[in-house]
Amino acid sequence: MASALEQFVNNVRTLSKQGNFRELSEIITKSTDVLIKNGQHLDNVLETLNLQEHSLGILAVLCVKFSLPNPNGANNVDAYKPLFNQVQEFIIGCNGEQVRFASDIYAELCHLFTQTLVELQIPLRGIELLCRAIRKIQLFDSQLTSIHADLCQLCLLSKCFKPALEFLDIDITGISQEEGQFDSKYFLLYYYYGGMIYTALKNYDRALYFFEVCVTTPALAVSYIMLEAYKKYILVSLILHGKVLNLPRYTSQVVNRYMKPLGQQYQELATAYQMNSCEEVQNIITKYQQLFTRDHNMGLVKQVLSYLYKKNIQRLTKTFLTLSLSDVASRVQLSGPADAEKYILNMIEDGEIFATINQKDGMVVFHDDPEKYNSPQMLAKLEKEMAACMELDKRVLEMEEEVVLTPQYVRKACGQNDQDDQTPGPAPTNVTNVQGQSKHSTYSM
Amino acid sequence: MVLSEVDKFLHELEKAELEAPGGVASPQTYAQLLAVYLYQNDLCNAKYLWKRIPADLKSGSAELGQIWMVGQRMWQRDWPAVHVALNAEWSEDVSDIMAALKDNVRERAIILISKAYSSLGLTVFASMTGLTLEEARRVAVERGWTVDGTMVQPCKIQKEESNLANEVCLTEDQLFKLTQFVSFLEN
Repeated sequence: MASALEQFVNNVRTLSKQGNFRELSEIITKSTDVLIKNGQHLDNVLETLNLQEHSLGILAVLCVKFSLPNPNGANNVDAYKPLFNQVQEFIIGCNGEQVRFASDIYAELCHLFTQTLVELQIPLRGIELLCRAIRKIQLFDSQLTSIHADLCQLCLLSKCFKPALEFLDIDITGISQEEGQFDSKYFLLYYYYGGMIYTALKNYDRALYFFEVCVTTPALAVSYIMLEAYKKYILVSLILHGKVLNLPRYTSQVVNRYMKPLGQQYQELATAYQMNSCEEVQNIITKYQQLFTRDHNMGLVKQVLSYLYKKNIQRLTKTFLTLSLSDVASRVQLSGPADAEKYILNMIEDGEIFATINQKDGMVVFHDDPEKYNSPQMLAKLEKEMAACMELDKRVLEMEEEVVLTPQYVRKACGQNDQDDQTPGPAPTNVTNVQGQSKHSTYSM
Repeated sequence: MVLSEVDKFLHELEKAELEAPGGVASPQTYAQLLAVYLYQNDLCNAKYLWKRIPADLKSGSAELGQIWMVGQRMWQRDWPAVHVALNAEWSEDVSDIMAALKDNVRERAIILISKAYSSLGLTVFASMTGLTLEEARRVAVERGWTVDGTMVQPCKIQKEESNLANEVCLTEDQLFKLTQFVSFLEN
């Protein structure tokens, strides 16, 4: 047995020295069994390896250590301390170039690390390290790795969101392949958790976008993650827009076919909301209270109700120029003028309505939006938005060009022409054609 | 305190929390972090910070609870209660931030009042800004508001154009941007 372990160490040393990391990463993938059988010798193995030179070997060993029963006995925090320290040392000190050859195992290590922290209920301790882990393995800032989902989970569990925002605020433009092991679960989780984080911080706009990405991910079967995201999508959409926005047309069919019936209680809530009656909404909430609580959505549901009051006040501004506070209260079904005044005051502060209260005679005067769209700030804003749009357009063109240049696409495009033209071997002309076209479109922007 | 300094301070505190040995920072760090969040009116983050502070620290430090009391009142937007909660003795760790927060809250209340009211009772004005009646009257007069017996009539505060020096760019630059926009839109 020991000889197999020795062979592993030798392989790691020689192949690392030769710089043959591709082959080495294959070997370490296959050595898991050997390492597990020699569990008690793993610390000795680690001692013979150098952090910078043999990063791949250490990575494999650490991964296996997580799946072994902890030698220090019980599942308490102290028992795991040495292992956590080793992981930390590894992530900070490992050779980024090397571990990219086994980014699947690297991600796996992070998943295992996260899972253990969650089980030990000390999620806060991993946040800083995972941030570093992501930065280390990413090729560019807007690349999604499966570790992103882990980071978001830790942030949610520890109720410490700021570190995750650094990553969430960057729009994803690429996904790390992780040797073909990138599970769609992590993609969905990233957008689901991300949506939850934005919801918690009341950035509903961005939250809605994250839930939408999660729900509209192409799918052939319903994922529970998508279902939960769909429920939250409805609630956030109600808060933000006062109605459930239609999902885009590219949404998978399964969403319409299966998820809508599964989220039926939420649809009922949305229907009640549409009637603008706080009473109706309250009735639905009482009716399904248990379900909402079980789904951990009760807090959001309550916010939906309080936003309906605000929305009803906003509707008043469209009909009336002045109104007494007691009239506002009775029309919006608030308890009294004082309550109405408080709501209006808060809405004015948030810029949700434009009005002035006159305490002398208890009246409210509603105004139009004072924004004239003629200030330099507005111009600056416009410029910013335009720049964002242009950047997006550029990205889309780039991606299109990339797709157009893939062999599969060329083959398909040529195959069709083959049938149409009946001319043999048009491949070369077509390739240049395609390139020419895409180049042309780049110039034209 | 200068704004950029606060940001730097905040960053240090957040880092201190994440890197704290054993995952629990000192009560002092928590108190300062909480106070800075409040000062920045970042109530969401303040709320979650309060939620993640270990229970034994909360019971061990009365000041933490006091700071959060301010935060809670701010969350409920109960202006008079915010001032009541702010009128406490603060330890050296947070006294600067809390004093800055106090001014900050008062200024916000005054701006809000000028925006939202065409007239309001002097007592209401005084309690929303946490001032005595006499002080409130003086502040109102200082700002050029009409005080008529027990009623105050605020004037709208003209928003001062923020210094645009860095935003206003040269004409040539503008022209360049415009060209870009048009060529983008036309295609």
